[in-house]
Amino acid sequence: MNPTLRMASLLRIFVVVLTAACLTPPAARAQLQIQITSGVNNPVPIAIVPFAEAPTDGTDVAAVVQHDLVGSGRFSELPRDKMPATPTSAADVRFADWKAAGSDYVVVGQVVPVAGGQLAVDFNLLNDLTGQSIARQRFVGSTSALRNAAHRVSDVIYQAITGIRGAFATRIAYIAVVGEGADERFQLVVADADGYNQHLILESRFPLMSPAWSPDGQWLSYVSFENHLSAVYVQRVLTGERTRVSMRAGINGAPAWSPDGKKLALTLSGSSGHPEIYVLDLATQHLTRITDSPSINTEANWSPDGRSIYFTSDRAGEPQIYRCAATPGSNPERITFTDEYNAGPHVSPDGKLLAMVTRDDSGSYRIAVQNLVTGDFRVLTPGRLDQSPSFAPNGATIMYAARPGRAEAGILATISVDGLTGLSLKPTQGEVRDPAWGPFIQ
Amino acid sequence: MSVVLHGSLIALLALGWWHFRQTAPAPSLPINATVVDARTLKGLGTASRPSPQPKAPPRAQPQQPPPAPVEGPPPPTPDEIAMREQAAKEEAEHEALAEKAEQAREAQRKAAQAAAAEQAAQAQKAEEAQAAAEASKLAAAKKAAAKLAAKKKLAQERKLAEEKKLAAQQAAAERAARVADLQQSLREDEQASVASGALASWQSEITSRIQNAWIRPPTAQPGIKCVLNVGLVPGGSVTSVSIGDCNGDDAVRQSIQTAVYNAAPLPPPPDGIPFPRQLIITFQPTH
Repeated sequence: MNPTLRMASLLRIFVVVLTAACLTPPAARAQLQIQITSGVNNPVPIAIVPFAEAPTDGTDVAAVVQHDLVGSGRFSELPRDKMPATPTSAADVRFADWKAAGSDYVVVGQVVPVAGGQLAVDFNLLNDLTGQSIARQRFVGSTSALRNAAHRVSDVIYQAITGIRGAFATRIAYIAVVGEGADERFQLVVADADGYNQHLILESRFPLMSPAWSPDGQWLSYVSFENHLSAVYVQRVLTGERTRVSMRAGINGAPAWSPDGKKLALTLSGSSGHPEIYVLDLATQHLTRITDSPSINTEANWSPDGRSIYFTSDRAGEPQIYRCAATPGSNPERITFTDEYNAGPHVSPDGKLLAMVTRDDSGSYRIAVQNLVTGDFRVLTPGRLDQSPSFAPNGATIMYAARPGRAEAGILATISVDGLTGLSLKPTQGEVRDPAWGPFIQ
Repeated sequence: MSVVLHGSLIALLALGWWHFRQTAPAPSLPINATVVDARTLKGLGTASRPSPQPKAPPRAQPQQPPPAPVEGPPPPTPDEIAMREQAAKEEAEHEALAEKAEQAREAQRKAAQAAAAEQAAQAQKAEEAQAAAEASKLAAAKKAAAKLAAKKKLAQERKLAEEKKLAAQQAAAERAARVADLQQSLREDEQASVASGALASWQSEITSRIQNAWIRPPTAQPGIKCVLNVGLVPGGSVTSVSIGDCNGDDAVRQSIQTAVYNAAPLPPPPDGIPFPRQLIITFQPTH
């Protein structure tokens, strides 16, 4: 054998030994390295076992929780008829049975009466596979607040498993139109995020429009056409006390709270006739004009940092969404380019997504989101006449008004931001429109 | 080449541009000239111009042949003839005498020649004999030398053949060794690749099982890296999962543990590889 060959074979032996050394750690192949770089987007299978009953108003806490979680699109439920047992405390859970039934997590709990005629909701979230308790908590409240307690349970479970703060125990405001002809009434309603627990805030013979939540959730601003003149009001939700903040000549519309809650962006046409965006300082009543163009400029929405305002303008012919500084004199930058019609901007709480109404080629109005970082544009809803998108405070879901059929009344619906899970809210009487999703409740 | 092409292209462009310039609104072309008085041109013109009536070249004259030259001497006189006869007689006598002497000299010379010839013949004979002897001697020597050379050559050829044979044998041996070596290495490689291929496919089977079982929470974004230490028993059941380094939140931690339990029992390893007692799984989403 010549020296080069010998060298080569020696090298090969060395390499083989080296490879073997890499593949075989000291403990003689007792250990294996695996790299996981991707996963699946499936809903998490979860079993919400009916809670131990206490004398209640008939609220099924487990059912409310299940409805919340499954409606978010991130969970799939184990139906009650497939449950291997009905334990109400962790000690009674035989994990192997639940694992065999196909659930990764199981939730058990009780509703128990506590001092002062109140009820306590105890729950325990368990991982069937590890056998560990992930979250357990007690919520105490009045009998009438049982649904709210259930939403709080949902929030905790949602965050424990998705890592995102739950937004089930939040409220929405919307406009309902009831009655016909001379009996037609416009209502400003506040309800739980799932549409239940409705409270009438204001009723009027004149149109009500565009409710908007203050960042602290204490106030609502809206447009009222009392006496056929448009005006913008600010109203305390709990007490009903209200203040008219703008009743200038022409249009007074589309209020939007600044993130610090100190200002309102408004659409005012003044005497010139073409609507412009203004910012009203609520403490000083000082009014600042933001846009200045001989076109329609409306539907202001603040960026979460309060520095920019997104708005709809037809300065290029068809309505499109623009962004400008929240101070006068900046040159608005066009944001949407995908369809011929994009309106009603609503920025996500993290400032990365812009929800809007887009009109597709078939003339259908649908909710779309545009990624403000990448420009990626996605239509989320089936459409026909979808309007007024509003982000949940956790940014995971968008609520909007829909009119599925020409003859049908408007309803409220939600869609997950990935467009995969949609849900219609509890049917209400009359027509509902203009939903506004409120902030987290502290 | 490209320079030429570029150059010509530029030239074409320039021409085109120039042409365009020229054919475009027809600007008054500048005339690059100096105005000069016509009178000053008169003298210059006659001097520089060729004569209007040039002289015809002289005609060539035909040449006359030269007169033929006179040859031969003049004819002789009678006196001259008589004198010539007398002289001829005297000359004949003289010639006869001379001829006699010449004949004698010739005989003498012939005799000498014959003697010399004989001497030469004898010498030649001796010489030839000697040469023949020498030639035979030389031939013998030559023969002996040739014989020796042939012998030598043969020996050398034998030696060369021997060497060649040896070299061939050695080369064959080396070739055989190399082939054996190659075959051996091929066998080793094949075994290794079969083993590593089986190992790799087993690993990828485990990987895909866990990836399919991992319901990624929204917070499991690129930048998240979590190491799980998984205890196994033969049969592939997971006996323990402990989280090592992990920058993920509780939801990520829950999700990866759940994924590993849901992926179990893990497939058995290929033949000859013992079931690992420990699995180190790194969760590191890339997108």
